[in-house]
Amino acid sequence: MSTVIFDGVSKKFRRGERHDSLRDLVPSLVRRAMRRTPDRTTLADQEFWAVRDMSFEVGPGEALGIIGPNGAGKSTTLKLLTKILRPTRGRIEINGRIGALIEVAAGFHPDLTGRENVYLQGAIMGMSRAEIARKFDAIVDFSGVQEFIDTPVKRYSSGMNARLGFAIAAHLDPDVLIIDEVLSVGDVGFQEKCVARMRELLARGIPLVFVSHNLGAVVQLCTRAILVDRGKVQFDGRPAETVAEFRKARRDSAAPAAAGDKPIAITDVQLLQPDGDPSPLHTTGRPMTIRVSYEAREPIRQPHVAIDIHSVDGVYCAGINTRMDDCTLGTLEGRGFVDLAIAKLALLPGCYSISAGILDPQGLRPLDLQERAFPFSVVSDRRDFGFVYLEHQWMQGHGTQIRPAARHEVRLVSPTARSLAAVALQEELE
Amino acid sequence: MSILMEVVAEQWEYRELLVRMTARDLLLRYKQTVMGFGWAIFMPLVNTAIFSVIFTRVAAIDVGTPYPVYAFCGLVAWNFFASSLRFSVTSLTSNPSLVTKVYFPREIFPFSAVLVSIVDFAVSALVLAALMLYYRIDVGWPLLMLPAVFLAIVVFTAATALVISMANLFYRDVKYLFEIVIAVWMFATSVVYPIGRVGGKLGAVLALNPMTHLIDAFRAVLLDQRMPGMAFGVTFAASIVLLAGAWVMFHQAEFDFAENL
Repeated sequence: MSTVIFDGVSKKFRRGERHDSLRDLVPSLVRRAMRRTPDRTTLADQEFWAVRDMSFEVGPGEALGIIGPNGAGKSTTLKLLTKILRPTRGRIEINGRIGALIEVAAGFHPDLTGRENVYLQGAIMGMSRAEIARKFDAIVDFSGVQEFIDTPVKRYSSGMNARLGFAIAAHLDPDVLIIDEVLSVGDVGFQEKCVARMRELLARGIPLVFVSHNLGAVVQLCTRAILVDRGKVQFDGRPAETVAEFRKARRDSAAPAAAGDKPIAITDVQLLQPDGDPSPLHTTGRPMTIRVSYEAREPIRQPHVAIDIHSVDGVYCAGINTRMDDCTLGTLEGRGFVDLAIAKLALLPGCYSISAGILDPQGLRPLDLQERAFPFSVVSDRRDFGFVYLEHQWMQGHGTQIRPAARHEVRLVSPTARSLAAVALQEELE
Repeated sequence: MSILMEVVAEQWEYRELLVRMTARDLLLRYKQTVMGFGWAIFMPLVNTAIFSVIFTRVAAIDVGTPYPVYAFCGLVAWNFFASSLRFSVTSLTSNPSLVTKVYFPREIFPFSAVLVSIVDFAVSALVLAALMLYYRIDVGWPLLMLPAVFLAIVVFTAATALVISMANLFYRDVKYLFEIVIAVWMFATSVVYPIGRVGGKLGAVLALNPMTHLIDAFRAVLLDQRMPGMAFGVTFAASIVLLAGAWVMFHQAEFDFAENL
């Protein structure tokens, strides 16, 4: 049975640009010649430890969650695990085939068809041609892009791309599984399939490493979790304990910042369903209310409120603010909230995040800005491409309306996926 | 030595990926082109026509065989070398998402550039065969050495491809420098004229160019019914050493690629 061993691993990086033109070659060669052995223990100018003296072990059937704030060294750890980076010091031992649910579509070429890309990406992940041929139907079935398998992937939506990539990775039969934010891709139904697949591999005794911001998913999936901060393992324990530790650390560090000298602070952004309950899941075409809660240290006269929505891959989907709408708010005092009511949510299924800002009366200077801090998911039975649902109707000739043959049944969101997403959102909003 | 064994074993393990990447590059190279593989033949043919005019009408030289077949033979071998390198030089930098996000032996990029060019070479070799038939060029036993000669060219090309693809990743000047070097290098090689006739100090320097010995050997076995000489043997041996060295160096630097892209 395979294990993952991280033994006293450190990784040094250099800030800023490296020499990348010939002009800088000579000085750098001279410098290199001057010191005989590369220095592996101390830091030179502009260098820093991304990962410092990190040790952990993952045994068969064990699922290790790695959590921590941004810039803590999680991504570096992941790249060290997948052999993209080599440690400056220490030893990493992984035997067997590494299955990484990371960048699952990195090998895709836009001009090649889905089918061609399955073979290419499969080979990149280390599968033989025969193995891919054997699993091809299962992969396509899992991905749900059957109809488009002979279409160049440049015509795929980003969701289809990711689903096909995940489907290939999920069929790898790895000896070690490494996952990065698996639950942020695809719709809820697809995420469920991924979770089921992970559990299946885990049950077979495969060690699993899961790096995530989704604390709820870590608690649900992992048998152990470590908290990483400033490149070091700060806590190692049962997932719930580690998550508690992380929350405590975050509260401690976040408190002074929030209470800083901002005249007004956004304390929370909630997404309300039609019944008024906050939820991380919303449905295309249904109402959604964005509630921005604030705490003002001094009365703020006629500020503006701005809300931006980005897709998970960074596409700017919508930007709304009170200034452009010629709406004037009164004076904000103490604690309160501003609601943005959306009658029909036009976003198609996917993962999005909300940025919220409170600006001065001129609408120029932000008094507080929370960028991409509030994630949410949209589900629906619509199968349109793109990001927005345009309410529409087909006509033939003059006014002969064409009705859809049969209404699709609204897919019920299963309770596990729903609760996972809900837990995640609560964590984020906390 | 053990590192060398290790990298070769790893490359063998990933041989299917090498084939896949080559297939991908071939597919992409000729997708949406009308001429397709015709391009592999077109360039050496045009060059052959130009040089035939120069060296049979303007400054006639005697090369022992009909000049067009002499030039085409040299150009086919040279084009394989030059186009392998042209694709290798940017092979790492044009695939940033693969280099920074997924692990597999990075040699695959320059090697697949060489393999793609082998396919082009095979296509233009058919034209060469046709030209040889047309000019009634006899072949003899030395033709059996052709695989060894071609292997030597591939080994030398692969070694150079490893070095320049890596160099361009660290220093982007390399791809500009490459265009100049390859143009000068062609005229310092016996591609379209026998450079061995240059004497004196310049001749001694030019004799150090491995490509001259490789192309001379290629022509010797194909057109002259001659066995390749000592110079070829030395160049072949040196190319193997060079490839081994370049491969080990590439492997040592491989883990810094992601940080430098």
